[in-house]
Amino acid sequence: MGVGKSCLLLQFTDKRFQPVHDLTIGVEFGARMITIDGKQIKLQIWDTAGQESFRSITRSYYRGAAGALLVYDITRRDTFNHLTTWLEDARQHSSSNMVIMLIGNKSDLEARREVKKEEGEAFAREHGLIFMETSAKTAANVEEAFINTAKEIYEKIQEGVFDINNEANGIKIGPQHSPASGGAGGSRPRQQADSGGCC
Amino acid sequence: MNYFKSFVKGNEEAQPTGTETVARLCDRISSSTLLEDRRDSVRALKSLSKKFRLEVGSQALPHILQLLRSDASDEDICSYSLETLINLTTVEDDEEGDTIIQSEFAMSFIEKFIDTVENIMLVLEMIERYDFTVRWSAIRLLTSLLRGKPSVVQQTILVQPMGISRIMDLLSENREVIRNEALLALIELTRGNANIQKIVAFENGFEAIFAVINEEGFCDGGVVVEDCLMLLLHLLKNNSSNQQFFKEGTLIQRLSPFFDISPESSWSAQKNANIHLMLKVIRTLVSPSNPSNFLQSCQLAMQQCNLLAKLSDLLMATGVPTDVLTEIINTVSEVLRGSTENQHVFANVMAPWEPPRSALVVLLMSMVNSQQPFFLRCAVLYCFQCFLHKNATGQSQIIDTLLPSSLEPHDVSSGQLLCGGLFAQSDTLSNWLAATALSHALHSNEPAKCQLLRVQLATAPGNTPVTLLRQLTSIIQQTTHLQTRIGLLNLLCCWLSNCPIAISHFLDDESTVPFLLSQLAVSGNDRDLLVNGVCALLLGICILDNDGSITHYSKESLIELVDARVGVENFCDTLGCVSQHDLYAKALQKHQPTSDTPRNLLFDYSFAKLFKALEDKITKTVSNLEDIKKEEEVKAAMKAHDSIITEYKTLIREQDSKVAKLQSKCAKLEKDVQETESLLKDRDSQVQQLKDQYNLMKLTQGDDSSSTMKQIQDLLAENNKKSEELASNAKRIKELENEVEKYVAIANEHSPMQDKIKDDCMENGVSEENESFDLKHYKELEDENKKLTKEVEECQESVRRLTESEVLNTAKIQEQILICDAIRKEQEDLLILLSDQETKLKDYKQKLANLGEEVSDDETDSIGEDEVVDDENSPSDQ
Repeated sequence: MGVGKSCLLLQFTDKRFQPVHDLTIGVEFGARMITIDGKQIKLQIWDTAGQESFRSITRSYYRGAAGALLVYDITRRDTFNHLTTWLEDARQHSSSNMVIMLIGNKSDLEARREVKKEEGEAFAREHGLIFMETSAKTAANVEEAFINTAKEIYEKIQEGVFDINNEANGIKIGPQHSPASGGAGGSRPRQQADSGGCC
Repeated sequence: MNYFKSFVKGNEEAQPTGTETVARLCDRISSSTLLEDRRDSVRALKSLSKKFRLEVGSQALPHILQLLRSDASDEDICSYSLETLINLTTVEDDEEGDTIIQSEFAMSFIEKFIDTVENIMLVLEMIERYDFTVRWSAIRLLTSLLRGKPSVVQQTILVQPMGISRIMDLLSENREVIRNEALLALIELTRGNANIQKIVAFENGFEAIFAVINEEGFCDGGVVVEDCLMLLLHLLKNNSSNQQFFKEGTLIQRLSPFFDISPESSWSAQKNANIHLMLKVIRTLVSPSNPSNFLQSCQLAMQQCNLLAKLSDLLMATGVPTDVLTEIINTVSEVLRGSTENQHVFANVMAPWEPPRSALVVLLMSMVNSQQPFFLRCAVLYCFQCFLHKNATGQSQIIDTLLPSSLEPHDVSSGQLLCGGLFAQSDTLSNWLAATALSHALHSNEPAKCQLLRVQLATAPGNTPVTLLRQLTSIIQQTTHLQTRIGLLNLLCCWLSNCPIAISHFLDDESTVPFLLSQLAVSGNDRDLLVNGVCALLLGICILDNDGSITHYSKESLIELVDARVGVENFCDTLGCVSQHDLYAKALQKHQPTSDTPRNLLFDYSFAKLFKALEDKITKTVSNLEDIKKEEEVKAAMKAHDSIITEYKTLIREQDSKVAKLQSKCAKLEKDVQETESLLKDRDSQVQQLKDQYNLMKLTQGDDSSSTMKQIQDLLAENNKKSEELASNAKRIKELENEVEKYVAIANEHSPMQDKIKDDCMENGVSEENESFDLKHYKELEDENKKLTKEVEECQESVRRLTESEVLNTAKIQEQILICDAIRKEQEDLLILLSDQETKLKDYKQKLANLGEEVSDDETDSIGEDEVVDDENSPSDQ
């Protein structure tokens, strides 16, 4: 039983929930078009395996990611406890500008909750992350989780934190759709769905 | 073996020198303090490493590894060491001697080398060195290690942090030699390892590849482009995640410029190779085995970025080498397969001919042309098959070209070409190809199957036209060519399956069943038996989908015939001949019709599918004649049963419709009732309102009239009072007048006296006193008189005023009386209205009762009561 990264991605890209999901082997790719600030943006999302045995592979996906979703399961405290190591891993292998969103998933299972929302908020505050509780099953906050992360990246682009001409940070300017728009026509930030351990 | 002998022999003589030399060099490497010495030694080792592979390999490895660590700063030592290792791990084709033995040495050395993970890491570190020779040697060494033991080296690099990234970085090397070597290394690194393929894609591998292809000049680029495409193919093949990424990254559009090939351009072997690989890349994306959603969006993207148009242009261009053309046709096929939009686009592609002809017709011309290469003709069949896949419109259009129409006589239609192919005398492959192509026009399309029955052929001038079906059966019976026979039989199988009308047409021809039965008994080699198998299938189809319209060839009679002539078991065995045959198994594997030789082209994918679907059914049906009979009985019973059921069904249906009608009626009535109720309520409230109004009016009217009365009375009283006053005043006036008259009389009496007095006075003053007294008295009287007159005037005035007010009052009273009348009239109107309403109400109630809605007595009562209460209240209110 994972924390639900693949289910979050499936909900975001296909708008459906798959109660029984195969274990992710290595990584899987997903993409979706969104609109921010009137601009079409294609999110390229890599869904990584949470299993410890894939850690060396999934590590390769930090470099060149503009954002990451760090996911734990609110019904299992151990997944929350693992956050620190995952966060260290992410910080160590990624660019310092990477936007990290902390996600407490499975908010539909309120009866089995082991991690309070306040704890998640506190962890996020302490480490400078954005925080949100989601449910891949009911789709609650799933859109927001991805889109808010993208918005944060977008703002960083606007502020000039990300150099959009350097593809190494995972952002690419797409073909300009309207010549009048100017600026970033369609940037494609890459995001990585990452996990707070699932053993 | 010669070399081995000489090698061994040579070793015997040179052994001291060879082994000794290597040993001495190794010794110098490990012991010498001079860098120069170590450098020279390793250079010497390098030059010996090819000739004395075994010696160097067995002794030198630890020393070389030691050198690479301790003298890492010396570029020459590093590159010599790496070159030595390369020599030990690779065997070149042109190497003298037994390459098998050499390869075994190399393999065992590789195994020894990669046994220690640190060694691979050392190579990776060397790759990061900027020095040309070091980096160049290191990347080549890595490639040869990967070639030797791919999985182990791949796994080691995969788990190294940044392991793949370091190699990826080399793709942007400005020293082309290194970049090209990196491409080779990546080809090996990504071979069969999905995880590495994904990381390479994530590290912008696709972009890097396209950058190199672009730089090298697309398809005209050299072997480097070929390497790029090979890597691209490795990244995409069997990797749905990467394919998805490729599509989402809008990279399909980037493939398009690759096919901007000018018609006059030359076709080098390299260019052919490049285009072949690029077509493979495209076919990987639109492979029929891909998930349909993904496949369709790829097909659409290829059409939208003009890739399909460019490929179609190449199809029609001249000078394209046949092998490339064949592969382009295959690629176009898969871009079309099942995509309505692309099929539509392709249907409108015209060949630049005079007059212009549709590309499809031009392709079919090649297919039925025996001069064309075999694989090209197969590719055209595949294209035709894909064009018609899930394309009912296209299928009908093809069939239509076979029917008599307004077609220009000189115009060549696809139907004509197919017929030409079907009946071509000396070209059995054409027969087979055309038959198979025609079967694709019928596939899963019942109307097309029926339409084809109408096709008539003019066999020879003067002969009566014969139907296509009959012509086919007669050719099947006459021909001696296996391929033709099987091709036409395949077509018939496709035509007749699921089409009872076609079956009855087929069975109507007296010669067909005897021929099929006799064919089942013919013996021969395994290829001949295939004909029997297909005949058995055709007969089976006639049994399965038989609607019994040809009475002597009904389902049962056919089975009985089969049993009597060949035996059911024999029949099933004959059928089994096909499914056991290699050619059948091969056909089932791939959508694309292929065969090593033309004569082995006997089955295609869709026929094999049909066979697979029907074999079991036919076997079961045929072997259970009893069951079938029983089944028939049951069916008959069922039919009887069915008819009862049908009756009941119709009854139920009728009842259903009745129920539905009644329900709708009921709903309508309920609605009516509701409406009526609400109307009633409205009316009630209206009545109530009117009543209230009435009461109110009564009240105000009462008030009005009483107050007016009172006013009138008051006025009258006042009037009376005033009249009385007037009378008293008049009386008084009269009194006063009388008095005045009295006084006047007195005065008149007095006046002579007065005059006398005056005179007297004049005479004597005595009378003056008297006189003055009189004057005074007179004055007083006069004053009083004046006063009275004034009073009278006042009285008169007041009388006048009173009279006026009386007149006014009378007018007012008149007015009031008028108002009163008006109100009374209004009241009467309202009463009439009320009674109207009541009758209406009664009507509605009656209606409701008639409609079946219960109108409770309460309702009537309560309404009645209300009225009573109102009536009671009204007077009390008054």
